[in-house]
Amino acid sequence: MFPNLNSHPTGITVVSLFKLQFTIDDFTIGNIQFNKHFNTSTLHHFNNHFMKLNIDSIKKRTYDAIVIGSGISGGWSAKELTDRGIKTLMLERGRDVKHIIDYPTTLKQPWEFEHRRQLTYEEKQANPVISKCYAFYEGTTQFFVKDAEHPYVQEKPFDWIRGYQVGGKSLMWARMTQRWSDFDFEGPARDGYAVDWPIRYADIAPWYSHVEKFAGITGNKDGLPMLPDGEFLPAYELNCIEKYFKDALIKSYGDRYVISGRTAHLSQPQEIHLKQGRGKCVNRTICERGCPYGGYFSSNATTIPWALKSGKLTLRPDSVVHSILFDEKKGKAIGVKVIDAHTKEEIEFYAKIIFVNAAALNSNLILLNSKSGRFPNGLGNDSGVLGKYVAFHNYRGRISADYDGHLDSTTEGRKPSSGYIPRFRNVYKQETDFLRGYASGFSANRSLDRSYDGLGEDLKANMLKAKWGIWHVGSGIMGETIPKESNYVALDSEKKDAWGIPQLKISVGYDDNDEKMLQDFFDQFSEMYTKAGFTNIRTNDSKQAAGLDIHEMGGVRMGKDPKTSMLNKNNQLHACPNVFVTDGSCMTSTSTQNPSLTYMAYSARAADFAVSELKKRNL
Amino acid sequence: MINRRSALTSIATGLGAVIALPAWANGWNKKSLHNYAFLGDHDEEVLSAITDTIIPKTSTPGANELGVPQLIQKIVKDCYDPKSQEALALGLVTTDAVALSEYGNSFINLNKDQRLDVLKKMSVSEYPAQKNFLNMIKRMTIDGYTGSEYFMTNVSKFEFAPNRYYGCVPV
Repeated sequence: MFPNLNSHPTGITVVSLFKLQFTIDDFTIGNIQFNKHFNTSTLHHFNNHFMKLNIDSIKKRTYDAIVIGSGISGGWSAKELTDRGIKTLMLERGRDVKHIIDYPTTLKQPWEFEHRRQLTYEEKQANPVISKCYAFYEGTTQFFVKDAEHPYVQEKPFDWIRGYQVGGKSLMWARMTQRWSDFDFEGPARDGYAVDWPIRYADIAPWYSHVEKFAGITGNKDGLPMLPDGEFLPAYELNCIEKYFKDALIKSYGDRYVISGRTAHLSQPQEIHLKQGRGKCVNRTICERGCPYGGYFSSNATTIPWALKSGKLTLRPDSVVHSILFDEKKGKAIGVKVIDAHTKEEIEFYAKIIFVNAAALNSNLILLNSKSGRFPNGLGNDSGVLGKYVAFHNYRGRISADYDGHLDSTTEGRKPSSGYIPRFRNVYKQETDFLRGYASGFSANRSLDRSYDGLGEDLKANMLKAKWGIWHVGSGIMGETIPKESNYVALDSEKKDAWGIPQLKISVGYDDNDEKMLQDFFDQFSEMYTKAGFTNIRTNDSKQAAGLDIHEMGGVRMGKDPKTSMLNKNNQLHACPNVFVTDGSCMTSTSTQNPSLTYMAYSARAADFAVSELKKRNL
Repeated sequence: MINRRSALTSIATGLGAVIALPAWANGWNKKSLHNYAFLGDHDEEVLSAITDTIIPKTSTPGANELGVPQLIQKIVKDCYDPKSQEALALGLVTTDAVALSEYGNSFINLNKDQRLDVLKKMSVSEYPAQKNFLNMIKRMTIDGYTGSEYFMTNVSKFEFAPNRYYGCVPV
């Protein structure tokens, strides 16, 4: 609380505000002299001094805005706020990760890893959850939360994949960035599950453009109604078989498309990207280790250094947010209570507006833990929906096959992207026995096959003879799950984490709609693959738990009605309008796009709105 | 963990060999397991002899020049479960037992042709323990070899930063 005292060379220890322990006879605090004969007048003097210290200290801890979290959405909130001259404090619970210098494995060749990229047995045993994540390997363990360090309660199996550091999961994300369309926004209104979104495509479209231009998104103008075009850098091209499948689908179905997935990579950097200090993607496809070229979008390479350059941003790592402070008299949030990750010291920071970007489930946790007389069940939670209607993406299904056509062609180099098949089920109307739909990736590859027959010199000779194999193709489902009240998160009533914050209890799982949709994916894709002449079609249900998709969303959903939603159309808490929530927790429904681009757009849009409201003195 | 002498005895007996166990059969004990490398000296030599036989040095480097046996030990020790570690240790003993039954000597004392013959016999053995071990050690040797700097650079022409992607080029 009194940083000025901490640095004073003295034998005193501040126990609490006016309780002192003396270990020497004479000392000074600031410009006040003390001795063992000090009297009430000295104490009075002392009090005044402390009050002044305290006011100074509060001033030092006061900003225009606080952004909780430094991942994809937090980075954008901070960038947009500081662009508008707002003095911003960004709080990050984890350590600092500086662009380039804190990417320890980024230049390692595959053979330079001690275990050739494998996890150790000990790591796997100690981290059963995070070890399931496709991006967690010897080159990336430094960027993922280890199971034991941050426990949570699984009422139903849930693989919670987290990245607690500056940049959050934007360092390791899969970088697919597809826009939503009105077919997605209108889903809940059409079938009555979840509540109607308070916005439509037209509200968010300019903000998609805004973030796409700055982040750098590859893609083609595909002209598809269910997947609006954006501001694209040149796309990574579909390969021969991906193109072949695209044509085959058009011929067989007319309305099923394969496009080049829109991806947050600099295929051709523009002025704005060079200004950020980023360069062209060099197709290494080891993005999850951090990219020294800034070839893909991350907070670390893009929004955070940009915001820091403005001189308006203070970045404070190792700051675990305990709760948001609500002032009953003012009727609004006044700041944030932080616990230092290492010293466990409690510190309060103050601001006029607060952006909650802690990642979907942690934003729920912070709001649930922000209790006050006015909000006994969590900040802004008059409706009781906080923590409920959590949803995710069903990633369980995978289908693969072989193709022995186009054997005169192959690919060259590497592609940090893949083909993408936008949703084709229930787009224009409800047409199946399950609600909503699914998108899918599609990729084809062909490799040089080597024979490993024999032993000794025979084996060696065989190994050196490489022959082009046939093509292998594959698709994975990304299915919308329906937000339901029964899929929820809550504070555990007993268990706490190492910072005294209640652990999150997660109760999120699949339902019958998901099973039907998965079967439909297998049926439809088997048919599509068969029609394209693919053979040896194999389907696989990984049966993976919810969470491993790393697309958990909702709990603080947007909506028109404060009785059934937490946030309004500007991502403000209905009941506490100077708090904005713009990460995955704000999602009313999940549709079938990789969601990060939408969080970026919401963050930028809400920051713009918040600043205009601040200027009008409405907040 | 298994005891080397009794394992060797039972395996050798299982093969129908009547043999007196030589001194090196005592070489593997619990203490040597705690070494960094986790295999005892003798087993390390057997492992090296096996990987050298699977991918020998010719005009191009063999597995041992590329550090494959050390890598196998490291990965099995650090990344594999205790059962698989035991499978490796037991497999080395098995290899010795087969060598003993075929040529009356430890695998490491056999000449090149004899070693190859032992491994070939194991690869088609009716005993799953022999066949499975041979498959396992062959797979690991190949992985270690093809994942090496030498192989990736000179043979598979791995490019760290290709800086291009063409979706359709002639083979």
